[in-house]
Amino acid sequence: MSGHGFLLATYSPGTSLIHRAPLGLKFLLVVGCGMASFLISDWAVSAVALALLCGLFLLSGAGPARLFRAVRPVLPVLLAIGVFQWWLLGAPTAARIVLNVLVCVVAASILTATTPVQALLDGVASLARPFRRFGADPERFALTIAIMLRSIPFVAEAYLNVRDSARARGLDRNPRALVLPVFITTVAFARQTGEALAARGLGEPEDPEDPED
Amino acid sequence: MSTIVLDRVSVRVSVDGRTEPKTLLQELSLTFTERRIGIIGANGSGKSTLLRLLNGLVAPSDGTVGVDGADTVRAVREVRRRVGFVFTDPLSQLVMPTGREDVELSLRRSIRNTTERRAHAETVLDRFGLLRLADQSIYELSGGERQLLALAAVLAVDPEVLVLDEPSTLLDLRNRELLRRTLSGLRQQVILSTHDLELAQDMDRVLVVDAGRVVFDGGPAEAVRHYRALSAAGLPPEGLPSLGVPGTGAGGAGLAGLQQGGLERP
Repeated sequence: MSGHGFLLATYSPGTSLIHRAPLGLKFLLVVGCGMASFLISDWAVSAVALALLCGLFLLSGAGPARLFRAVRPVLPVLLAIGVFQWWLLGAPTAARIVLNVLVCVVAASILTATTPVQALLDGVASLARPFRRFGADPERFALTIAIMLRSIPFVAEAYLNVRDSARARGLDRNPRALVLPVFITTVAFARQTGEALAARGLGEPEDPEDPED
Repeated sequence: MSTIVLDRVSVRVSVDGRTEPKTLLQELSLTFTERRIGIIGANGSGKSTLLRLLNGLVAPSDGTVGVDGADTVRAVREVRRRVGFVFTDPLSQLVMPTGREDVELSLRRSIRNTTERRAHAETVLDRFGLLRLADQSIYELSGGERQLLALAAVLAVDPEVLVLDEPSTLLDLRNRELLRRTLSGLRQQVILSTHDLELAQDMDRVLVVDAGRVVFDGGPAEAVRHYRALSAAGLPPEGLPSLGVPGTGAGGAGLAGLQQGGLERP
């Protein structure tokens, strides 16, 4: 597994205004874009929002190549969705849906490209802290987000590897030869990750008597 | 050095479709006090299960395992704080996208302050010569660098005992040598399983495991001799049977048949 098909941009060290912006503000940007994607009904507004976000991304100094790498994995899916929606609901709706998804991906990429993962985890942990009184463990919550971020590229890569293997055996038209191995690989990966976390003592419930917790 | 005691430990697992559970380890009673301990044996002999017992990743079906008196089932948190575990494949162990972030993840519970945590992670990475690679994706590192990083991430929390499951299996000769040197310089008690008999020779004590039992326990040179003899005894006298090519009726033609004509699609 090379894990190169990473959806969302990886962190790019820098000192830009966006790097220095408070984490909460960047979180709000992502949440805001996600909510706006349900509300915007004009594709032209979506296009302007996308252009603005791309501009913000480039202002951070993370570079167009990183932006393209973040968006590229989702393009084939968006193409399929776009064509289907065009056929079903017409060009303006198809354009709006595709652009809105891109807005969300670029907004999330701004967050991940300008925020170290540890700072993200700290942010998630502090957001989850008020739920401690209901029995939630903020560190486990943050760890879950970290594992999710790590698992997306793994599953994407597993699919690509299985597809290549199926092609090499002349089985690329057989959905069972694609779905089953990806499923098995993903479950094995989940087990391995769980075991690795357990071995490192990560993700265990907090001990109230432990001074380190 | 820590004292690890296995008292009449057996491990059994249930296998689908079988009524009888499969025995992975049978009534082992061992005490580990030496600085460097190696475990060698064939694939499936029980080496990894034995190592996993020491960190609480596997619970014994019978008997108990204690690390300095801490039971690996009842006091698993304490045991894991004392015993670090390095897996064969570092990619299954490294959780974060870069080395720096992975080492910082190890330190999250012990160092709350972000700046301090970052500084400590850099010290650890520097110690292993990995600081220049700290912000590189783990997928862009070589096998040796990844294994060193996995080691660094585990050692960041300064465990008393380091357990390594076949750490050199995926490494080339140069990286094996690097790993050997790194391990020899550690202050920790090291317990590892390996197929690398040179690495086994560096140990103070070596156990040979076969079919879930320790069949030899002593010095490395004797243990390696014992293991070689055991492996040779298990080989079929004429090697593996040849491959047959389906449909040709040439069961014995095997590889020769493949080389001459190859396989044709119907």
